[in-house]
Amino acid sequence: MRKRSLLFIFFALILSFSLAFSVGCAKKAAVKEGEEKQLSPEKKAEAEQAAKEQAVKEAEKKDAEAAAAIAGFDYIYFDFDKYNVKPEARETLKKLANYLNANPAAGVRVEGNADERGTAEYNLALGERRAQSAAKYLMGLGIAKKRISTISYGEERPVDPGHTEEAWAKNRNAHFVLTGK
Amino acid sequence: MLKKIAIGSILIFFMTPCLQDTYGRVYIDIDSPSLPKFPIAITDFYCPVDREGHSIWFPDQLGKFLKLTGYFQIIDKKAFLDTGTGGIRFADWTAIGAESLVKGAVRNEGNILSSDFHLFDVTQGKSLVFKRYTGTARDKRAMVMRFASEIMLALTGEAGVFDTRIAFAGKKGKNSEIFTINFDGTDLTRLTNYRALSILPHWSPDGRRISFTSYKRGNPDLFVIEARGGPDHLLSNESGLNLCGPWSSDGRSLLVTLSRDGNEELYVFNQLNGKKYRLTNDASIDVSPCWSPDGTKVAFVSNRSGSPQIYVMDANGYNVKRITYEGNYNTSPRWSPKGDKIVFEGMRGGNFQILTMNPEGGQLTQLTGSGRNDSPSWSPDGRYIAFVSTTGGKSRLCIMNSNGSNFRIIHSGMDKYMYPNWSPHLNF
Repeated sequence: MRKRSLLFIFFALILSFSLAFSVGCAKKAAVKEGEEKQLSPEKKAEAEQAAKEQAVKEAEKKDAEAAAAIAGFDYIYFDFDKYNVKPEARETLKKLANYLNANPAAGVRVEGNADERGTAEYNLALGERRAQSAAKYLMGLGIAKKRISTISYGEERPVDPGHTEEAWAKNRNAHFVLTGK
Repeated sequence: MLKKIAIGSILIFFMTPCLQDTYGRVYIDIDSPSLPKFPIAITDFYCPVDREGHSIWFPDQLGKFLKLTGYFQIIDKKAFLDTGTGGIRFADWTAIGAESLVKGAVRNEGNILSSDFHLFDVTQGKSLVFKRYTGTARDKRAMVMRFASEIMLALTGEAGVFDTRIAFAGKKGKNSEIFTINFDGTDLTRLTNYRALSILPHWSPDGRRISFTSYKRGNPDLFVIEARGGPDHLLSNESGLNLCGPWSSDGRSLLVTLSRDGNEELYVFNQLNGKKYRLTNDASIDVSPCWSPDGTKVAFVSNRSGSPQIYVMDANGYNVKRITYEGNYNTSPRWSPKGDKIVFEGMRGGNFQILTMNPEGGQLTQLTGSGRNDSPSWSPDGRYIAFVSTTGGKSRLCIMNSNGSNFRIIHSGMDKYMYPNWSPHLNF
């Protein structure tokens, strides 16, 4: 019985060695073939890469233009653990509403953010609240609900990665991003 | 993981009848408040032809596993008086302070590796457990792990958590992926590769699946994935937050936080029929729900009183009661497996610390004291707590015993560790 199982192991070993060897050979062959045909796929890849880079550049340019259009009134800030729109944020929201009224094709995504001092899951809820209270304020200024979307990133997208009061104050915000132009 | 489970099933076990009389006595009373470490000696294993260094590797690995439990003091080999290979001189072991002794042997025959482990009570001079494991060299870690479980069972009455893993979200830059890792910090496995924010992993009660929240499609949606990897399945993509909470013990439902109605509310999400049963109805933030182990109650976080505090309600959403009153920021409640405690994090002295209390809010005990400590998760036996500890801007995945002792780091080096979630027993 034992002899038989040893014999089996021996054959299994031989089989696995020979398999490994043949796979190695197959790989070599494949590489060679690739080398011979490399011209056209490489060019194709190059073209694809260029197209991709172009698309990314265009998207970045579009984003930058959209950001520039509302620069100066694309953030409002909140107190620690609070989501009420502060008096000093009202002016910013009014400017944004004016822009949206003048550009009826534009929509806005409101991104709610929190500082790192709270706990991560609670901060997701807090960020959502901040985004929604900003959205509600915009609706109060006459912007249609369907032009506004909200999302919370909690504490995971800090504007300032620092750990100071100043950094935290910047990170407790609602960030406005133009969409649908 | 896959390999390990397969290995477990091909190990062959021989049990000896002497096992029976070990269960009567508990050598280490885990629940005792001040627990001295249990002194145990592990000799080099007998291994006649030892090309791989098994005689040293086996006792070292066993010592590492036992140390991780926080309950053992491994006696230094240099102190050993009884170094003979003949019969055991028990007096020589009690003389150096040992209460238990492990001896063992390893045999290599072709591809077959077999190992013997023998646990003795040296004060009474008797054998407690003997095990023989047979497999291949690849199984040696599993063999040692199995015997470490046997030692825990014989000395504490419970088998320990050697067959468990911890899931967590690991952040790099703006994004985070879901990972799992062995309780001893080995075998880190990445489950997702979405280059998006993926958070809040929760093990299913059978340990086969992990549900989580991911921004991979833009919105924070709810997904489930096989714990060993594979494609994910979308469970819920309501507008707004779809935050993943724990599974019910029957594996049918998940507690989730949704903001589809304009503010965060808690729901029981039945995965079989897709229905969502709303538990809360309050204009404030309600988040971070967890069930009591018997499923009759739900603890959660709400800011309905003006600051984040922990509340308990019946599982149908009635009889809401606030249970934390000390401190102005208490979050992340997790009910202990035995039901007698709730662990959570609270702002204490300007930083988050981990505390436990009973389900009525009494017997408040602070477990951590330095740096920032948050996101606690119980081991399935309730003896340990996994959590995230941050000091000097460095985040680390850690565990400690449930009384706050034996702090140890499981993993470090990622930008940020979030939402550790301890698996049930995986039986590998």
